[in-house]
Formats: sequence, structure tokens, C-alpha cells
Amino acid sequence: MSNAMRTPAGAIPVERYQGAVAEGRFRRLWNANAPGYLFLLPWLIGFFGLTLGPALISLYLSFTDFDMLQSPRWVGIANYVRIATADPKFSAAMHVTLTYVVFSVPFKLTFALLVAMALNRGLRGLTFYRAIFYLPSLLGGSVAIAVLWRQLFASDGLVNAALAQIGIEGPSWISHPNYSIYTLVALSVWQFGSPMIIFLAGLRQIPQDMYEAASLDGASKFRQFYKITLPLLTPVIFFNAVVQTIEAFKAFTPAFIISGGTGGPINSTLFYTLYLYQEAFGNFRMGYASALAWILVVIIAIFTAFSFLTSRYWVHYDD
Amino acid sequence: MTLRVSRRNFVAGSAALLSLSALGTSALAQEKRLRLLWWGSQPRADRTNKVSQLYQTKNPGTSITGEFLGWGDYWPRLATQVAGRNAPDVIQMDYRYIVQYARRGALAPLESYMPAKLDLGDFDKAQIEGGSVDGHLYGVSLGANSAATVLNTTAFKEAGVDLPTQATTWEEFGRMGAEITKAGKRKGMFGIADGSGGEPLFENWLRQRGKALYTADGKIGFDVDDASEWYDMWAKFRASGACVPADIQALDKNDIETNTVSLGKAAAGFAHSNQFVAYQAMNKDKLALTNYMRIKPDSKGGHYRKPSMFFSVSAQSKSVDLAVDYVNFFVKNPEAAVLLDVERGIPESAAMREVVAAKLDENGKVPLEYVSGLGDLAGKLPPPPPAGAGEGELMLRNIAEQVGFGQLSPADGGKQLVDEITQILARG
Repeated sequence: MSNAMRTPAGAIPVERYQGAVAEGRFRRLWNANAPGYLFLLPWLIGFFGLTLGPALISLYLSFTDFDMLQSPRWVGIANYVRIATADPKFSAAMHVTLTYVVFSVPFKLTFALLVAMALNRGLRGLTFYRAIFYLPSLLGGSVAIAVLWRQLFASDGLVNAALAQIGIEGPSWISHPNYSIYTLVALSVWQFGSPMIIFLAGLRQIPQDMYEAASLDGASKFRQFYKITLPLLTPVIFFNAVVQTIEAFKAFTPAFIISGGTGGPINSTLFYTLYLYQEAFGNFRMGYASALAWILVVIIAIFTAFSFLTSRYWVHYDD
Repeated sequence: MTLRVSRRNFVAGSAALLSLSALGTSALAQEKRLRLLWWGSQPRADRTNKVSQLYQTKNPGTSITGEFLGWGDYWPRLATQVAGRNAPDVIQMDYRYIVQYARRGALAPLESYMPAKLDLGDFDKAQIEGGSVDGHLYGVSLGANSAATVLNTTAFKEAGVDLPTQATTWEEFGRMGAEITKAGKRKGMFGIADGSGGEPLFENWLRQRGKALYTADGKIGFDVDDASEWYDMWAKFRASGACVPADIQALDKNDIETNTVSLGKAAAGFAHSNQFVAYQAMNKDKLALTNYMRIKPDSKGGHYRKPSMFFSVSAQSKSVDLAVDYVNFFVKNPEAAVLLDVERGIPESAAMREVVAAKLDENGKVPLEYVSGLGDLAGKLPPPPPAGAGEGELMLRNIAEQVGFGQLSPADGGKQLVDEITQILARG
């Protein structure tokens, strides 16, 4: 102790340092990597404290009845049984979410690719257009955009004003159960910015001489796209498809804002995450909501695994 | 070598930070601190914060921090804070949730502070009752209001239709609505909002029939016939053009901004009396308040004076005494009463009511006169709704929409509503 007092504050006393070396490999490894771990610390705290920890707690809670005010009560698999057998709102929410995924992802990716190809043609002011087209993605989750969408697709909104010019009297798209989900699909397609930027980067990777060779051989533009662009772009398409599918399953804000949190009219915008939120925070069924969350994790995992399994039949990587 | 220096600096730095933060907490702990949480909009926040400042100037050494959110975000935040043992000291509470929070031990019972520290002597007895659960006082009512019909008097006049009175029945009101729509003085404006999915309306209608939404022991208080007739009445209004079509009504997100009256889609809509000032502020036309219609000329007692908001004190609070003192100040100090006005409803204390009434402007007087003039239309406060009532409200609206969009007949809608609510209540 007195020895330590004499060494400068914080420095490791020489004899203890040597002892550490003798202690073995682990200690040595730690000393060599300490700065690395130190720099990783914020991420590690975030991962264990904010991601893994809560995830494991929610897994535990999914087997309980927990109203956030009293302690959780263990109920075994009762929550999962109810989801599987006796919850009509679960199937309604699933139906809405799958409709959203099936329509929004392909349309969004197609649109993003088209815009990326247009921007790739050495346009003047490319950076400006890139920024402009990316903007909606940044605003994506915001309340303002959801409000704007309501102005566009309400009964007296801009869309109907345009339709009135050609003599069509449109319904209130956003508040009619037959159409409301498609206004949300349109909102999602409009936010094509991030896949577009990735497509643009992918298009830049394709060697120009391939196109030159192809046009010398007399290949049409369409044939060049079909035979060169698409195959060489498949890794990027695959990446975008997986990411966007996961995003679509997790969509929440637009439906929450547009329906005022109800998922209406008639559950037509009851996204899975919105239903989960209603159960957790509206009805104080944290345990049941946790079970819903884990079912979503499994569904997303299945979709992703399926994408990876099929990918080897259509994704071509350069050797 | 560099490694050791940076590590030493890091350790020294974090030690310094730790001791600083330790100093910080002890310095703050000496002060008398309160945290408040309420829902509402900016004007309410301004009024509340002014009262807090006033309290601080009168009680040096106290520090009061307030936070507010919209209704939808409020309950998740509160539940999370209570679960995380981090509840605010003073909590704005609603009639719908007070039983839930009180029974689960989240709120401090306050009756032991009466009357010395919490003086509710001149409060309306029924309204004190409203803040009590199982014989303990868990909430101090901040004001009373009642459900009301909002009328766009300008639109009525343009259409040449007389305003409804306290004697008007739903049947007559339906005819008036159809006349306004037919007059077509304004593009896209209908007579009345579609109230079929509105819980206060349905409850009022049930009470006039001698029924209720929920019984005192938390069971369903109406039957299939009641619900079917209700949906049927609105189906007829829809067919005659008296009320707005379903896809217009679905734009209403249950707030002032999207109410069909604010959107200019209906000449009459449904709201709460304390919202009148905000409605008038959003509308260029002259608005007025009236009661919900009678089901028959001699039916009564559908309305009630509802404690619109409570202040509750958290059971986790470390300074319950200070919190109680603040709440008492909030409802009993004349200067505070003037600052608060009738924004949270009409003050429960008779003395404060007088103070406020003397200073009210024309718009502020409308809700006061409306609530005090309900007469035989006002009945007893219903028992607090059971857990699951929130889901029941969504269900009433969901089925109303299915009937509105023609996916269900009114009779099937009524049957389904009773089935669903029975199931929700059984699940708890």
C-alpha cells in the first residue's frame, strides 16, 4: 500500500505488472488490447445494455402477464397460445403488414433503380439531384410527412383535386378501408432514397467497357440492361431487398400518425407494430406484446433466411 | 507508454466526473424538488408553468420541473416511468385510469392530509367522490366538464335552420341535419358529424335509456338491442344525408384539429365543454355549445359533470408533503385559479369558481354557462370504467366504421359489439 502511494497516480506498480505477465495469456491479451476494448466500450454498453439485455428481458416477459405496475406473473406459453388460436386482431394485423410488404418493397426497389439509372447518366448537377431525391427518406419517419400525406389523400386533398380535372370524383383515399393501406404504400415508395443511393453506387461499379463492347456487337439498350446491368447488380438488389423487407415489417410511424394510433378505419392500417404498441402501451399488456414482438422476430428471420437460401440461384458475385 | 498515459488520464478523468456528479446530486437533494407530468397542448403548459413559477416565488428554495405530452404519448411514458421506479411526484390522472393505477399501488392515498393540508371543503362532494377508489382519495379534481354538441351557428343560419334546444330529440336533430345538407350552402358540408363511434355519445344515449356502458362491478351495462338500435339510428342519418359519410368521419382522429366541425365538413359535431375555447379559436364562424339530444321528449339524466382531470401524487414520491401542498395551491390559490382559467374545466372549489367567473371573457363563459345550465339532463357520475374500457372504446368505433362502410348491418354490429366487449372484460 505504501509502495503504491509513492508511484505516480494511476500508473501500475512495476512488481504488479510483472506479476500480471506471469499470470498468463489472458492478462497479456487484455493489456495488449485494452485500448481497443476501451474504444469499443460505448458500443459494448449500448449493445448489452440497450439491445441484448432488453431483448432477453422481453423474451422472459413474453412468458408472463405484466402490466408494468405490478410484478410480472409467470403464465408459461399462454400468450403464444392465444396469439395462435384466439386473437383475430393478430391475423388482421398480419394481413395488413404482409400486404404492405408485398406491395411496397418491389415498387420501391423498382422505382429506386429507375431513378438511380437516370441519375447515373452523367447528369449535370448530379449531387443536387441525389440530395433532393434522398430528402424524403430522411424525412421518412417524421410526423410532418404523415400529416402531409393526409392533406394529399383526404377527400378534398390534392389527389382528388387533380382527379376532378378529368372528371373523376375520388373517395377520401386515406380514410377509406379499401384504399388506406395503398396510400401508405405510396408513402413508402416515395421514400426510395436510401436504396436509390445504394443502386447508384452499384451501377458505378459496372465497367463501362462492357456496355461499349455490347453496343459494338449491336445489343439494344434493353438487352444491355437485361444482360449486363441486372446480373451485375444482383448482389445490390439482394442487399436492398433484404433490408427493405425488414424495414417494411417494422413500419410503424406513418400508420400511427395517419390513423391517430387506432389502425383504422376498420383495422385497415393496423400494422403489426402498431397492434403490438396498442397492446403494450394502450392496454398495459406488456407480456402479451413481448410475445407478439418475438413472433415478429421469428417471421422476419424466416423471410431473411428464405432470401439467403434462394439467393444462390439468382445472385451473381464477381469471381 | 502512450497507452499508460491515456489510461491514467481516463481513470483520473472518470474519477473527477464521478465525484462531480456525486456533488451534483447532494447539492440538488438539499433543495425541495418536485416533478410534474401532464398531458395537453402548449397553452395548457404555459398556464401550468406559470402556476409553478408562482409557487416557487411564494416558497423559496423549491424547484418545480414540469413536462407535458400529447394524450397518446402520455400513458406509455407514465406507465414506463412508474415501472422504472422513476415516476413524477405529481401526475395528471384521468377518470379512465385512476382505478387501474390506484389498485396497483402506484398512487399515494391523500385523505389523511385533509383538511389541514389539503382543503377541499368547498368542493362539489360528487367530484371528490370521483377521485376516490376503495374509500381512499387518490386524485384531486382540477375541473369539471361535460360532453357537448358544438354548433356552427353561422352555418345553421345560412341554411335557414333553427339551432337545436334542450328539448330537441335525436329524431328532430336528424331532420335538421338533413335540411342543412340539402340546403348545400357550403361545398362539402353536411349537417352533423357521424357520432356512431363516439363513446361519450353512446354512453349518454344509453343513460337516457336507463342503461350504462359498464356496471359498477365492471360488467357490460347494455344489451344487443341497445347497441343495434344505436347503430341503426346512425345508419338512417347516413342514408338521409343528415350526417357525414363514413370516409369523411374516418378522418376524425378524436382531437380538436380533425373534428369534422374544425375541418368544415359538418355544421354540428361532438366534443367536451372545456374544449370550446380551442374550437372557437380554430373556427372563423361563430360557435355555440348545446347538450346531446334527448332520445324522447321526457328522457333525462344522460349528461354528467365529469371530473376532467385529476392531480395524483405518486406513491414512489420522496416528497409527498410538498406534492400535496403544491396540489392544494393549484386548486385553492386565487392567483393560481386566475392563471389556470377554465382550461382544464370549471374549478371544483366554489370560491375559485367565483374568482374565475369574474374574469372570464365571452368565450370562456360559454362552457361555464353550458355545464351549469344542464338542468334535468345531468345525472349521477357513472362508476369509473373497468380495465379494458380503452379497448372497448376502440371496438365501438371499429364496428361503427364497419356499419358505416356497409360491411355490417346495424343488427349484426350491435351483436358483435356486445360479444367483443364481453370478451374484452373477461380477459381483463
